[in-house]
Amino acid sequence: MALPVWRQLRTELHPEGLEIVTVALDLEVDAARSWIERSSAEHPQLVDTAHKLDEMLGILNVPTALWVDEDGMIVRPPHTAAVERYDFSKLKAPEGLPDDLEAHIRDMLEQVKRIPRFDADHYVAALRDWVGHGASSRYALAPEDVLRRSAPRSRAVAEAAAEFDLGQHLHHAGYVEDARTHFRAAHRLQPENWTYKRNAWELVSPGLQGPTAFYDGDWLADIKAAGPENYYAAPDF
Amino acid sequence: MILTQLDLAPDELRRHTGWELKPEGLCKDERCVLLPSDARTDGRLDMTVVADCLGMPLVHDERHEIWSLGPECGDHVLTSAELPAIVLEDVDGRPFDLASLRGEKVLNAAWASW
Repeated sequence: MALPVWRQLRTELHPEGLEIVTVALDLEVDAARSWIERSSAEHPQLVDTAHKLDEMLGILNVPTALWVDEDGMIVRPPHTAAVERYDFSKLKAPEGLPDDLEAHIRDMLEQVKRIPRFDADHYVAALRDWVGHGASSRYALAPEDVLRRSAPRSRAVAEAAAEFDLGQHLHHAGYVEDARTHFRAAHRLQPENWTYKRNAWELVSPGLQGPTAFYDGDWLADIKAAGPENYYAAPDF
Repeated sequence: MILTQLDLAPDELRRHTGWELKPEGLCKDERCVLLPSDARTDGRLDMTVVADCLGMPLVHDERHEIWSLGPECGDHVLTSAELPAIVLEDVDGRPFDLASLRGEKVLNAAWASW
């Protein structure tokens, strides 16, 4: 969870002209509430319970960031926010759990340790450079490069967005089971979208994110299939 | 966007997708797409025809008789480097318009509790 890092960066860079806006991609506002209230951040902290940012900006996992200049022009399209993350490699499975659950958690932690950690110092240095130099920073991209680097949207990706939208709409309307049909379809159409999957898995299996009878995949099975080294796209700075 | 019927007022389409009905067809940014004559009835748009013309998926939920109009497919998600209009709420339901931050550099960070 990177919220404390965003708060620190905001304290440092707000006097230089940077605002930070955090957006929780949680379907349930209460899931994000305690994190937000504990963060005591001064910047806007928003929630996207309808999960619109994936569709509008092309977000596949979290944490993801994008940079926008004073004129509202995107100068860095959505990319893996390579800030310091909690070091999950130190986590151990709690003791006293049933054997199969303990084995599952151990297996999850093994995968987590193999997710690449990117150079946070380099990322923050690039951010400071852009805040200091604006359009003349080598890290501010021209509009044509922003479009070129923005996520591809095939027919299947567009359909996945429509299916997830139906799912979130029905979920919020109280038709939780009917929503799953559409979440499943979104997973099938855009398997590389971890936010579609993690949001849906979390609703039926909080924390572990599966395995569950409701969905074909689960966090552990899917990260093994995709390869933990592919969990985040390497930021290209 | 979620639809409860398959005909839509042009204003609603513009508000949700940015596509505006003009004499030459549906237009957004620099692009215009011609509409066939059967796309309009009594001033409303037939969304099955419009979705087809704009390359947008239209997904149906039969049980609840609602539809979801997806984004237009194409090469990339972003078709303009300008940040699209985005209004989100804070945890207390107060709306916040990202456009209100014009004049400042902004880093938008997506995260989740999971």
